[in-house]
Amino acid sequence: MSYSTFNPSAHDATLEPMFFGRSVNVARYDKQKYPIFEKLIEKQLSFFWRPEEVDLSTDRKDFMNMPEHEQHIFLSNLKYQTLLDSVQGRSPNVAFLPIVSLPELETWFETWAFSETIHSRSYTHIIRNIITEPSEVFDQIVTNEEIVKRAAAVTRLYDELIELTSVFSVHGAGQHVIAGKTYDVSMRNLKKKLYLTMVSVNVLEAIRFYVSFACSFAFAERAIMEGNAKIIKLIARDEALHLTGTQHILNILASGADDPDFKEIALECKDEAIAIFAEAAQQEKEWSSYLFRDGSMIGLNAKILSDYVEYITNVRMRALGFEDMFPAAQNPLPWMNAWLSSDNVQVAPQESEISSYLVGQIDNQVDDSDFDDFDL
Amino acid sequence: MAIPRIKVNHFHTFYYQYESTLLDALEVQEIPAPYNCRGGYCGCCKVRLIDGEVEYVRETLLDMDEGEILTCCCVPKTHIEIEISES
Ligand code: FES
Ligand SMILES: [Fe+2]
Ligand SMILES: [Fe+2]
Repeated sequence: MSYSTFNPSAHDATLEPMFFGRSVNVARYDKQKYPIFEKLIEKQLSFFWRPEEVDLSTDRKDFMNMPEHEQHIFLSNLKYQTLLDSVQGRSPNVAFLPIVSLPELETWFETWAFSETIHSRSYTHIIRNIITEPSEVFDQIVTNEEIVKRAAAVTRLYDELIELTSVFSVHGAGQHVIAGKTYDVSMRNLKKKLYLTMVSVNVLEAIRFYVSFACSFAFAERAIMEGNAKIIKLIARDEALHLTGTQHILNILASGADDPDFKEIALECKDEAIAIFAEAAQQEKEWSSYLFRDGSMIGLNAKILSDYVEYITNVRMRALGFEDMFPAAQNPLPWMNAWLSSDNVQVAPQESEISSYLVGQIDNQVDDSDFDDFDL
Repeated sequence: MAIPRIKVNHFHTFYYQYESTLLDALEVQEIPAPYNCRGGYCGCCKVRLIDGEVEYVRETLLDMDEGEILTCCCVPKTHIEIEISES
């Protein structure tokens, strides 16, 4: 089934499944099968921010005054975040746009991926401000063994899904041998791959990122690298939307209400899905040992960060209806909550999420006479 | 109408002081209620509503199961009883 950039059929998209139905025709949002995605788009748009608005001048001094092992923690964490957003800035589009069937979900993917590109741009802003030669940091992202190891786990399912759907787009459903390699491009296998890819994206957004946020905010808890933390706070606000989005998609799929096949697939793939969580948790723990290999910092060490990995993994698994993977425990980093809250995000008023302002923007009901009382 | 009374499992019962959200009301009482985004889109502040009614003061981006509420988005409308899950 080849992809069409504009499907001229007159079908009603609200009757299509989220994925693998007919490709989207008109980008219209007046009728939605799942209004939640439209709400996510609006929220994401209201969150728009630019990295350059955040002043990083004191971060440079803070960074230079840090002991070497803390610089290692800070830079390694930043490299990992850069890797994750490099993936997220493109992959939802490349992987999901060819197979999505609802206009609001299609636009959510694009809006989501766009916000990830802002995150990527902000890492350049940060690195430029604290290091004289940014290449020293960027170049190591693809040569650092610890990072590359995790990149493979982050991208494997995305890449497999993209490969399968490419074959599907050219050859249609079925078993295909291409250049000696056999591809199972049955609809069942495509859907399975999609489900597991979405689980791994959820793990990326909901666990891996949060572990990195903990490190960013741990510095700011000591009143250093505060510009960086301001940026990461804005990123975290976006990420909360992204993880809500992937949780919604996964829960809708698993309910079978959208496409009954996915109910079976979710059950059938349960062990594999849990294994994706387990692998990520394990890698994040290994990563914390790497971060703190030359020493801890005040407020954070490999043990506490590993406890946080377990805590956040449980929280995210519960949201999808899975059992806890680790013993239930209190949040070992209670100060994270304040950083993850959008209440006190400081942005220019026109960019804040004050809903009255947004309502004012789109209110066409205002009559000329409403301005009668204004003396200009 | 009577001032809503808020009963919380494992914690004390108190009167609502017209804080802007139920989450704020709990925090004023120093009850450790879970939260993250405070904006209705992360789901962390979900608690069970055992009895009574709440009124939403902010749009939420989450589907709630029957009997679940987001404390960052609502205020009590009547006397209420809620249950905060441990950990
Ligand atoms: S704190 Fe995020 S939904 Fe209430
Ligand atoms: Fe991101
Ligand atoms: Fe994201």
